[in-house]
Amino acid sequence: MSAPDYVGKRVLRKDGPVKVTGRAKYTVDMQPGGLLTGRILRSPHPHARILNIDTTRASKLAGVKAVITARDTPGIKHGFVETPRYPADQWPLAADRVRYVGEEIAAVAAVDSHVAAEALALIRVEYEPLPAVFDPEAAMAPDAPDIHPRNSRITDPFNNIAGKTESGWGDVAEGFARSDYVREDRFRSHLRTHGYLEPQATVADCGAGGKLNIWTSSQGPFIKRAKLARTLGLSQAAVRIQHAYVGGAFGGKIDLFAHEFCAALLSLKSGRPVKIEASRDEIFSAYRHGQPLIVDLKTGVKKDGSLLAQQIRIINNCGAYRGSGVVVIFLSWGFAMLPYRLPNLAYEGFAVYTNNPVRAPQRGHGAPQVRFAVESQLDMIAAELGLDPIGIRLKNARRPGETLPNGDNVHNCGLIPCIQKAVEHTGFHQKYGRGRPTAGAKDPLRRGIGIGVSAYFSGSLIYPNSSSVVVKMNDDGSATLLTGALDIGQGAETILCQIVAEELKIPLEEIEVLAADTETTPVDIGSWISGNAYVTGNAAREAASVVRRKLLELAAEELEANPDDLVASDKSVYVTGSSDRRLSYAELIAAGIRRRRGDPLIGEGHWRTLRDVPYHPSLATTKGRWSENYAFDAQVAEVEVDTDTGVVRLVRAVTAHDCGFPINPLLVEGQIDGQVSMALGHAFMEEVRMQSGRTLNPSFLEYRMPTIYQMAASEHIDVITESYQKDRPFRTKEVGEGYVSAILAAIANAIYDAVGVRLFETPFTPEKILKGLGKI
Amino acid sequence: MDEYIGKKLIQLKINGERFSAAAEPHETLLEVLRNRLGLTGAKAGCDVGECGACTVLMDGKPVLACLLLAVDCQQAEITTIEGLSQGRELASVQEAFLAEGAVQCGFCTPGMVLATSALLTQSIRPSEEDIKRALAGHLCRCTGYNKIFAAVQRAAGTDRGKA
Amino acid sequence: MLLPKFSYVKAASLGEASRLLAAGDRKTCLAAGGTELLPRMKYGLVRPEKVISLKGVAAAAPERAADGSIRLDALMTLSAAAASSLIQAHAPVLAAAAAAVGSSEIRNMATLGGNLCQESRCLYYNQPHDFQFTMPCFKRGGDCCYFIPEGKKCRAVYMADTAPAFICLGAEVHIVGPRGVRRIPLEGLYRNDPLQPLTLSAGEILSGILIPARPAHRAEAFAKFSWRPGFEFSAVSVAAVLNLAEDRQTCRHARIAAGSLAAAPLRSPKAEAALKDKRLSTEAIAAAADQAAREIRPVPHHGYTRAYLRECHRVQVRRVLSTAMRPFAKT
Repeated sequence: MSAPDYVGKRVLRKDGPVKVTGRAKYTVDMQPGGLLTGRILRSPHPHARILNIDTTRASKLAGVKAVITARDTPGIKHGFVETPRYPADQWPLAADRVRYVGEEIAAVAAVDSHVAAEALALIRVEYEPLPAVFDPEAAMAPDAPDIHPRNSRITDPFNNIAGKTESGWGDVAEGFARSDYVREDRFRSHLRTHGYLEPQATVADCGAGGKLNIWTSSQGPFIKRAKLARTLGLSQAAVRIQHAYVGGAFGGKIDLFAHEFCAALLSLKSGRPVKIEASRDEIFSAYRHGQPLIVDLKTGVKKDGSLLAQQIRIINNCGAYRGSGVVVIFLSWGFAMLPYRLPNLAYEGFAVYTNNPVRAPQRGHGAPQVRFAVESQLDMIAAELGLDPIGIRLKNARRPGETLPNGDNVHNCGLIPCIQKAVEHTGFHQKYGRGRPTAGAKDPLRRGIGIGVSAYFSGSLIYPNSSSVVVKMNDDGSATLLTGALDIGQGAETILCQIVAEELKIPLEEIEVLAADTETTPVDIGSWISGNAYVTGNAAREAASVVRRKLLELAAEELEANPDDLVASDKSVYVTGSSDRRLSYAELIAAGIRRRRGDPLIGEGHWRTLRDVPYHPSLATTKGRWSENYAFDAQVAEVEVDTDTGVVRLVRAVTAHDCGFPINPLLVEGQIDGQVSMALGHAFMEEVRMQSGRTLNPSFLEYRMPTIYQMAASEHIDVITESYQKDRPFRTKEVGEGYVSAILAAIANAIYDAVGVRLFETPFTPEKILKGLGKI
Repeated sequence: MDEYIGKKLIQLKINGERFSAAAEPHETLLEVLRNRLGLTGAKAGCDVGECGACTVLMDGKPVLACLLLAVDCQQAEITTIEGLSQGRELASVQEAFLAEGAVQCGFCTPGMVLATSALLTQSIRPSEEDIKRALAGHLCRCTGYNKIFAAVQRAAGTDRGKA
Repeated sequence: MLLPKFSYVKAASLGEASRLLAAGDRKTCLAAGGTELLPRMKYGLVRPEKVISLKGVAAAAPERAADGSIRLDALMTLSAAAASSLIQAHAPVLAAAAAAVGSSEIRNMATLGGNLCQESRCLYYNQPHDFQFTMPCFKRGGDCCYFIPEGKKCRAVYMADTAPAFICLGAEVHIVGPRGVRRIPLEGLYRNDPLQPLTLSAGEILSGILIPARPAHRAEAFAKFSWRPGFEFSAVSVAAVLNLAEDRQTCRHARIAAGSLAAAPLRSPKAEAALKDKRLSTEAIAAAADQAAREIRPVPHHGYTRAYLRECHRVQVRRVLSTAMRPFAKT
């Protein structure tokens, strides 16, 4: 089979030109006529009863067109997950209680921002403050303030439990008894946030017929439409979410946000378009951040390093509402058990309510925190047993074709070559163990090297569960691709185009992409479940192959040839071996119109993970099939520690990744670089600092995301374990979330290699380094 | 010395054209560009001068439109991202960003491209430090800066061995 | 974020601006570069009813007087100062400090005068207070401190990077005001009061900075230490200017100053005295750094602890002194 023409190529982005010329329209750029400005009133208390909200003065202010509180809403709750065990627990606007500083209480729409601000100031709210709790272990205590009504099935014996996951296999007690070495450690990860450059924003415009047109900065319009329609009491047909480019999301823009609901309701009430754009300080202090996990990890090994048993207990500081808190404790189980063979496991995860803002998934969704713990501990175990850190990982690493304890299969798992190639490429063994401080050395800089290993799932069943794609031919042989997929920067539109181009042999410039419009494009799983390339990609492949089949059928008739002898190439079909027996797509389409009632050439494709499995695994027990497509990686970090100031620099990151095969290597590299950057921010500098539920550093100035000065050399090694096959489903693996985790662990291990300081809590700030060195 | 409050017609020279807008003193250049003149390429990432997404060129120098009062900008030649290219022909900096894959979500891109453009006008063969210094105030959350750095080098012709 | 509605007047000169400022009240603000004023307005820290813009006043080019002193216009931008060949030759410590402030865009807008006259800062203060820390703290005219809840005073710190450099150069500032022009040593501009860091009275505006003539042999260096160079304010910034003897190894007169450790830039007189007439060996430099760290008690700020800041200060003083002496190292 010949090499693909489009898939696997470093194709330039389809949306590149509009972005470099500033013509790409983001939600904040949409300006329908008559636009009103919306603003939201937020709670100053972390926990309080709302006794009364008086909006009369605000409503009467000249220029105010609508004011809403909870009593103006249909009173329907929503949640990131909504199951019988975990029912929706959040009102779009707080009804009788507020549970975090910044919680949304009321919203106004006015002719301009000054009037809106003045209106907010005129709303009088009477609160009765209640005792609040911010630390999750304190919240679990029986005497802690009760944040939500209890659900005894999941709370006893602890208080404030939003969710619990329990899983395992084998017999850990027996496993520990048989172990030659057991160690137990606690690792803490801290609160970080997404830091997307485009603020959260929504423009809602209810037309004359009461149909809502919405632009919103999101990670996929279909889940937004579903939740918006339900909480507004409207049918999905009455809510249209239209395409807008998205300025980054990283997990922070997935489910329903209050400002989206409020913009829509304010528009319905005022009859005019309403825009709500969150200010940067609102985003840092009242919006969803990532999930800080406490990981208690007890591991038993044989003296040759093989893992025998592991006991894991995770506590997630969930925030005031469930959010995705009950998902991360499920996923953490997955990220703990994926990369290495583990005969005995006991896993327990708690999502604990606290009076902090709601949390959201943040790129990696538990994997960074879990891999940091597991990989740090594995290095310590190796050191204790006198084993090589690479050897111990190779010994335990999953191999191709292995079945996981949950019944999934890792198929062409490339973990072992990832580890080997990363080690070889970096000269790991030549550098490891050299950096420790030597007496009398004058240079304060020390270098160290470390490795980490991780795995990620590529697509899983969560609403909307499946993706559909439509390809339709234009009569000149060009095509239009309709997909509900949303490009949030990762290049979704481009790779889908490449797949269709490959199947139909149409140049990329002649394929137009229509994307992410709930009215005009088919359903899509969204850009938050690591399934764009695999799920939507296969749907696109199917849709295009349907069209190709129709073209070949037409050609078989017109050319009087056997369909098996026909080849598609360069927008035409020809008979193998006789290139003069050829018809262009345009000619074939014209022939079809003449001869076949003019049926248009349209193809539908549908795909879904685990097509024979009805549901996502149980969040409570992890039982069930999770994914059929797992990605693996090994990452090596080289760091430089300034032992005078404690500042650590990531000098070099090498990512050996099994992405199956890359659809667009240029885009894959960009994803790797970006994740290395996020990981170094996680490792060294980023921290949402909170005190009694309030954010101390709600700005880009004080929340330290990396700048170009912190840029690390980022190299990658492809481990190709799959391939693109015409007419066959392909298993290309995710690249958007899997590379923030192993590198974080590698950094922790590299710091230890450099200066002998072992840190159990992120971030690895200069202050902690100096403390570890005994200098302060 | 005329003190005034309320709307006044101001004249701005943007991308070689003259624009008039009725603006109040408290309106920033960013607000006027985006909300009055339809030039939405400059973005409000933070509105307090901490992200670089609102960068425009003022007499060739990169400045932050969110920290400028529109009324103070009437004497200068302003260049926004929309003014960098003519029709379908892109500036070499823009081509370089595309070729190197330096664009992902694109929100930081207008600011990065303008700052790069100003840097290359001033410094034909910028060093690594020159590039970092020029772009240090531009936050990017998607790319990790690697491909942006490569794009600047490509545009400057300082990337060796690249096609 | 919103700017308040204010009336606007564009001053034609600093003298005019001073008169307008004096005639107004606390509700009148001066806008030079705007890089501090606009964020403060957007955070609601100041709500002027009138803004006097200095964007119409041209900055004079740096002027070298016959006695070798250099006069810098307060309205000179930081980027112009960093790029000035005159400043690079006469006072490289200042060029380095100006180049270290903020980002290139900020430096293109911000002025020397604005940098020196900046307000003190604190995490809890420099943010909007719509729903967080809503009760005014001391600096916002209230009676509490969020940083030290049981504290009875404000703990905001002064963080301007050019101040330590100017102070070590022995700079004098020129101030235009209702009673004419006065000249004071730069250190006289500061009172180390977080609530009101500057000694300027109503209507006074910094108009220029005079740097004395450069002696024959001088070593100088500046360092701004932060976790993200090129972007944020410093944890600590340090400047050192050493007048050297003819052997260019012995210090005749030292000035060492640090920023961001208090509500004013602070000298280290004991460390300076320890270097007088000493050979600037590695040991002498290390001892001076230790002494400097002992004589300043850092105010913890922006998440840094006192212990860490003290150690950072010590390390940066040592590094700055070493860097200053590097051009004179014997080969």
